[in-house]
Amino acid sequence: MAGTSELDRVSMVVLRYMRGPIFALIIVYAIGITGMALMPGQDADGNSAHMSLFHAFYFFTYTATTTGFGEIPTEFTDAQRLWAIVCIYMGVIAWLYAIGSIFRLVQNPHFLLALNEHRFARSVRGIRQSFFIVCGFGDTGSLLARGLSDHWLRGVIIDTDPDRIKALGLRDYHLDMPGLCGDPAVPKHLIDAGVRMPNCKGLVILTVNEEINARIATMTRLLNPDIHILCRSSSKRNIKHLNSLGNITIINPFEIFAQLLSMAITAPRLHNLNSCLVRNPGVKLGEPIQVPTGDWIICGYGRMGRWMYRHFVQTGIKPVIIDPKANNVRGAARIINAHASRDSLLTAGIDHAAGVVAGTDSDHVNLSILMSVRALKPDAFTIVRQNKHENQIAFDALEANLVLQSSLTTARRVLKHLISPQVQIFIDYLREQGEDICEQAVGRLKSLIGDHPPHLWQIELRQAQAAAVIEHLQQGLPLSLGELRRDPHNLEGSLPCMVFSIARNGQRIMLPPDSEQLQPGDELLFCGTESGESMLSATMNNRYTLDYLISGIDKPRGYLFKWLDQRGRSSAIPS
Amino acid sequence: MNLERVVFGFVIILALTFTFAFVMGDIDNASHHNVWMLTIAILINLIATGLKLGDRSQVGALLLASSLVVDVLLIAARVVWIVTENETVLGPGPESIANIVSLAGGALIASLVTVVILVGDTLISRR
Repeated sequence: MAGTSELDRVSMVVLRYMRGPIFALIIVYAIGITGMALMPGQDADGNSAHMSLFHAFYFFTYTATTTGFGEIPTEFTDAQRLWAIVCIYMGVIAWLYAIGSIFRLVQNPHFLLALNEHRFARSVRGIRQSFFIVCGFGDTGSLLARGLSDHWLRGVIIDTDPDRIKALGLRDYHLDMPGLCGDPAVPKHLIDAGVRMPNCKGLVILTVNEEINARIATMTRLLNPDIHILCRSSSKRNIKHLNSLGNITIINPFEIFAQLLSMAITAPRLHNLNSCLVRNPGVKLGEPIQVPTGDWIICGYGRMGRWMYRHFVQTGIKPVIIDPKANNVRGAARIINAHASRDSLLTAGIDHAAGVVAGTDSDHVNLSILMSVRALKPDAFTIVRQNKHENQIAFDALEANLVLQSSLTTARRVLKHLISPQVQIFIDYLREQGEDICEQAVGRLKSLIGDHPPHLWQIELRQAQAAAVIEHLQQGLPLSLGELRRDPHNLEGSLPCMVFSIARNGQRIMLPPDSEQLQPGDELLFCGTESGESMLSATMNNRYTLDYLISGIDKPRGYLFKWLDQRGRSSAIPS
Repeated sequence: MNLERVVFGFVIILALTFTFAFVMGDIDNASHHNVWMLTIAILINLIATGLKLGDRSQVGALLLASSLVVDVLLIAARVVWIVTENETVLGPGPESIANIVSLAGGALIASLVTVVILVGDTLISRR
């Protein structure tokens, strides 16, 4: 059986719906026109004559559509008028029937669905730049789409909930993001979303259901063996299965939480840099938060609590756990099997605690824990888990020291991967190198960008992104990073941006110095201001500017002055 | 300071002023318009076009395009003048001179665009 395309389905639905009305119209027209031509009439001089078929068709056309031009070409006889009455009623009813069918067709949900799918597939096929597919447009998906738009990256969105797709249509993204209402695990929807297109650079799976996520990932791998998949998953069994698919990045929000927390405790400067890079509001570059290392209380020992606990123990802290179900936790100072409340907090020793983690899966409980802590020990360090994005205002009002929001951390981690896989590798590198290297990097970044929010972008030294640089390098001329970063307005200064890392032939150069010589095909991860990005892009694509930056001389551009310049130089050599 | 910029700026602005000088006056009065002005404007503009040949930057391409437009319009005006020169003792008749001056007026706009691009580019590069 041959497969049917979306367009076939649409035209099929139209034909099926319009078959009746079209038959009715043809029959009514045939009767009306024939009758009109047969009715005895008279010409302008009063001789008896019949209306020609063409005139009859003309008359019926304007009568049936209720336009009514009158009795053309000559005044009608009574017989003709009698037939005209029949024509009017017959024609108008047939037209009403046809128009009614069109309206019903337009309102038919199946037709609308088919039409939407067709439109979606067509708009995806029209995308020429690289894009990403996002499955699931919940809290995380919409945060991710916002982040993609901020970085001028295009997303294609699939979600099962029609309301979410409607919400997508109301967003003011910089770029058009087509959305399809449908099950992302259905292969046809994935193909419509462009999973097989060469400019589809990755597929992000963010639905809330673990099983569905795994199904989408498997289906995607079958449809396109090379595509990079990013999948949210926190169940061990699924993660094992997903890892077997290959070229997949698994985003476990709870693990990321715990990593961030342990980073905040053991590497506050890096945590600060990371928060700035992901544009965490209210965080200033170079002003890290200080997490105390005294006694800690963890409220809630679920998936998140477990991860947090593991990282706490790794950093040498033995926290007290408050959870109604927790038992047999190795290394814990104490376990209190109770719901987190004022009393259990007192039992856990809140009066001498350095910090409290409110990490249950209910925002209401977390907020009330936070309020109890505020009342019992106002100077305790508070880390709170926010489950729903819509409760943002309540969490803002309580001013916890550290708010960990699942959807936000997931969206930020995914975005980092999509901007450049190098970002996370760079962060991990700094983690290994320790706080001193990180402080140097932060100091350098701060001196370059001042109070502007840091902006990350990746540039590949290829024709499409850096035409002038490639031309320069292909002539065999050297180009160092410092020369590229020079400010065209002031040759002594440099643009407000720095390179975090260079990926070259599978190797990575972290924090390269200005003397680093660039090579074609290098992938540079930049951090700086947005104006720095546009200035740098101008330099990389304008040969004259690049030459001026390297030599400090504005070279002649026109043939005449080039010729004069060469003559001047060749006559200067002999003397 | 860059000699090329000085020369090009000079030529381009000179061409604009000469075109303006030709266009000034009643549109249908041949005695208000001097054919020498028109000829000089054409020559200067051709030089400006020649100076821009070989510049591969975006702005260079735009400058070349607009100065080509000026060339085409001014040369068209000069051709009309040659064809209609013998209509009256003074030169072209009122209708013909109106045509010629309209063409030169179009060239004036294109010339103005060239100067605006040049000034804008210089201001943006700020060095």
